[in-house]
Amino acid sequence: MAHLDIQHIDKIYDNNVQAVYDFNLDVQDGELIVLVGPSGCGKSTSLRMIAGLEDISAGHVFLDDKEITQTPAKDRDMAMVFQNYALYGHMTIYENMAFSLTLRKENPNVIHKKVLAAAEILGLTSQLNKKPAQLSGGQRQRVAMGRSIVRNPKVFLFDEPLSNLDAKLRGATRREILLLHKRLKATMLYVTHDQTEALTLADRIVCMSMGHVQQVGTPLELYDAPRNHFVASFIGLPPMNFFDVTVRENKLEGKGFTLALSEEDKKILSAYAGKEIELGVRPENVLKGDDLKLNVFSNENLGMNTLVNGHIGDGNRISAKLRGWFDYHEGDDVGVTFAQKHFFDKETGDAIGRRINA
Amino acid sequence: MSEEKQIRLDRMRYTKNSLASTLAIAAILFDVFYFISIYESNVGSWYYNILMGASILYNLIFMLAAFLSSEGIKNYKIPYAYVLVVLGVIQIIRIFIYPVRAHSSSVTIQDQAVIVMETAQFVRCVLYLLLSAICLIASAVVGYIRSRALKQHLETLNIQSA
Repeated sequence: MAHLDIQHIDKIYDNNVQAVYDFNLDVQDGELIVLVGPSGCGKSTSLRMIAGLEDISAGHVFLDDKEITQTPAKDRDMAMVFQNYALYGHMTIYENMAFSLTLRKENPNVIHKKVLAAAEILGLTSQLNKKPAQLSGGQRQRVAMGRSIVRNPKVFLFDEPLSNLDAKLRGATRREILLLHKRLKATMLYVTHDQTEALTLADRIVCMSMGHVQQVGTPLELYDAPRNHFVASFIGLPPMNFFDVTVRENKLEGKGFTLALSEEDKKILSAYAGKEIELGVRPENVLKGDDLKLNVFSNENLGMNTLVNGHIGDGNRISAKLRGWFDYHEGDDVGVTFAQKHFFDKETGDAIGRRINA
Repeated sequence: MSEEKQIRLDRMRYTKNSLASTLAIAAILFDVFYFISIYESNVGSWYYNILMGASILYNLIFMLAAFLSSEGIKNYKIPYAYVLVVLGVIQIIRIFIYPVRAHSSSVTIQDQAVIVMETAQFVRCVLYLLLSAICLIASAVVGYIRSRALKQHLETLNIQSA
């Protein structure tokens, strides 16, 4: 197992486009780190730089205190699992899993033991004589993982491994990856654009946007104490509601609505008196109450919750995830209150008061 | 049985019998060398009879049969070992059908007796047929031994899991 230290890495392509800016990360032994962000945010590029598949324009990468910045990919002792599985169609599952070790001219008996052990972990023992085309997408992805496991690498790198799977299979395979991580206690870096994967898998999440790391923290930290507007809007489904409000002495004044401030909120916003800020409220923190009137325009029953979309005040769009089954109709007014509020600086987008160190 | 041997045996569950298969393919290759060598003979009209037609036809059948057997033996199917033995024996018999007869025959060209197959060509043809036969029989033996061993191993595993 391994300790991976990434220091100030940049990626600048030949056409001077910079994909990654000053990426820093200290991955502890056995940690599962998820890099999450929208398409084009530089997460896959960062992973490929760590794997050695992309040149690093600036910065350093250390694995177990040994610098590997310029080390070729094959010598980095890292295994990568790709989105498209990258299996050899003409080989059986056994041969696919054994292939990298065969190339290294390892003893065939040792290879056999390793392949059987990996197949056992992944539940592929009965599939070893089949070809990849005979397996489902989830099974193929497990084979791709098995091919990594047999190498016993110091670090596992996953580049959106579940993106090709349907929703049900994605959930099942995600749980398998989590079990695998617990069983192998391996250091893993996992790239995804799916925040559900990030929240459910990660020990820590690296949230990225436009090549910059926005926040590094545990899933709860990113959900509960987002560092800025981007993280708040990206993490959470449905996304956080945002309202432009002005801070008054005892209240927040928005377009057509006012909200009383608690003593704690007043302290947090003391430096913003009279200024305009952004108020963020997660849909699940909108509860039934008497503070505001939510004018309904759509009602989606999700089973144990109801997603109510509407507006408050003068056309401020809001989504509320109310616990229970409700059948509101367009035009209905529902009394709501905000259980937890997030405040963001209007100019910088940074969180006010709840900031944590990234 | 040592652990090493046990693992080697267990490996056969997931790996092909590539040695036996390669030997059978090598036999096809030597047969190709043989018929290229024999067809370069062009002495009078000694070869121009129905036997040559049968020989050409047999070469095609041989290549097909040997190739299918190589695939069969690769997958540890014992019956193909018997087919390979038969093909090997036929290759030995073929030495006496063309090379030996052509080497001991002569035709008269411009009042001179000319041996149909010179010694060098004869040795070459015999060698190719012999090598082909050896490869086929070796393939059959390797295939048979491994297939039997795998069969027994699978039976043992079935008993253990039952």
